Formats: sequence, C-alpha cells, structure tokens
Amino acid sequence: MKTANFYLKKKMKEVFIVEPNDLNIDFLTNFYKKATSYLKTTPFIIIIPFSFLAGLFIYLIFGYLIVRLTTLLQYGF
Amino acid sequence: MVFRKEQIIVNFITSLILVVRNFFLLIFYPYKTMRKISLEKDHWQILIIFLLVFFYFKLSYFLKDNPYPASFTFFAFLINFFLTAGFFYFLSKLIKKNDNSASFKSLFFSLSYSLFPTLIWFESVSLLYLILPPPRTTSILGVSFSIFFIAYSLSLLLWKLILVFLAIRFSLRLSFYQILYLWFLYLIWFIPYSILLYQVKLFRVPFI
Repeated sequence: MKTANFYLKKKMKEVFIVEPNDLNIDFLTNFYKKATSYLKTTPFIIIIPFSFLAGLFIYLIFGYLIVRLTTLLQYGF
Repeated sequence: MVFRKEQIIVNFITSLILVVRNFFLLIFYPYKTMRKISLEKDHWQILIIFLLVFFYFKLSYFLKDNPYPASFTFFAFLINFFLTAGFFYFLSKLIKKNDNSASFKSLFFSLSYSLFPTLIWFESVSLLYLILPPPRTTSILGVSFSIFFIAYSLSLLLWKLILVFLAIRFSLRLSFYQILYLWFLYLIWFIPYSILLYQVKLFRVPFI
C-alpha cells in the first residue's frame, strides 16, 4: 500500500509539473486545449497530411520555385 | 578498476536503451515523454545524443567539400546549443523573478532530446545527397519529389517545434504566451546569426 501511495504521489507530482495554460480568452483557451489534445499523442497523424497539403499548396502558389527550394535544402546538410 | 570499467559499460548500455526508448516514445507520446525527460538525471543520455551529433558531423565532412573539420563544426554546434539554452534560461529568469522552479539542467536534457528531428533531417538529407544528388529538375518526377521533400522537411520541422515548445514549457514552467514571446526574441538574434554562419560556410541550414 505504501509503495502504491509513493508511486501515486510521484505520478501526481509529475502530472502537475506545470499549471494548465490559460490564454485569457475563453474561446482561445478552448481552441488551444482542443488543438493540443491531438498533438499530445501521435501528432504525426495530423502533421503528415498537413505537411503534404502544405507542400502541394506551396507548389500551386509558387510553382517551380519549390524545385529551387528543394535543391537549396538538399545542399543544406 | 575492472569493476569501474564494467560499471561504465553497464551505465552506457542502459542509457543507450533509454535513449532509443525515449526516441520512439517522443514520436508517439511527445507530451508525456518530454515531461518525463524534463525530470531526467542520467547524464549518459546527453553524452549519447551528443555523440550521435558528432558522428553526423564526421559523416557530413566526408560527404561534402567542407572546409572545416568535424570537430570544429561540432564545437560550433556546442556554442549554438549553449547560446540557445542560456538565452531561454536567463530570459525565463527575467520573466519569473521570484520563481525558482526553472531548471537549467532540465532544460539541457529536454533540449538535447529535441535534437532528434534535426538529426533525422540532416542524416536523411546526407543519404539523399548520395542516392538522389541535387539539383532537382522541373520534370514531373522532379516536382513530385520536391513536394514530397518539402512535406517531409515540414513534418520534421513541426515535430521539432512541438518538442522545443514542450522542452521550454516543462523545464522553465512558462505559459503559452511567454514561450511565444521568447521564441520571437530568439528569432531576432538567431536569424542574423544563422546568416553569419551561412556566410562563413559553417552551416547552410542551422543545426539546432
């Protein structure tokens, strides 16, 4: 029982390491909480489709400049 | 003496396993994992991450016509890293004058782990340099690859931003607005600094 209590206390201390974020406007705070809930676990489910859409969008807006950007980045290591 | 040597090897292997485990957990559970990392005390893990960075610089030295040796580039990276960590730490101290909850050690641990997306990007770009050397063309294949490459780079950048945000949040106990404010101040000096590093051909893309 004592060990369980110790681990519970340790876990509680870890979970409450920071205060919850308050963005001062209720709408923004709610939006922040909703958005971050998707990013806290397996964020790549959101990130990968978003990045592909962004890549496509960049191509549609800037055209062949995306090829130059890629070339530049490929020399960037 | 033999015991100490064995102890070092055991410590190193244990930390290596923890680094690999944390790396995978950061992909699936970045929030929980970064919170745990911010409470970490095992210095071997930092050493392993920095060794990985050093190996990358060694690899890139052989791949491109770099005028600087790997040890020099690594030294420059260390300066970048300490400047970044120091900047966030001291500004957080200015913001929260009466609060001693911010910890430099914790920030150092979590920022070291946030180097993973950077390492993956640089390593993969080095490999792509061998497999598909630039420049890219405006053919269908060239454009498709470019879209894929930009999406790949952007997803790693977003992962990196999430990890750095969490690192600062858990180590320095700052709020969302305070972190955004610090990032803004950071970019004010870091962008000209990166241009300077580009001019002296040390880093084309800043390694941070």
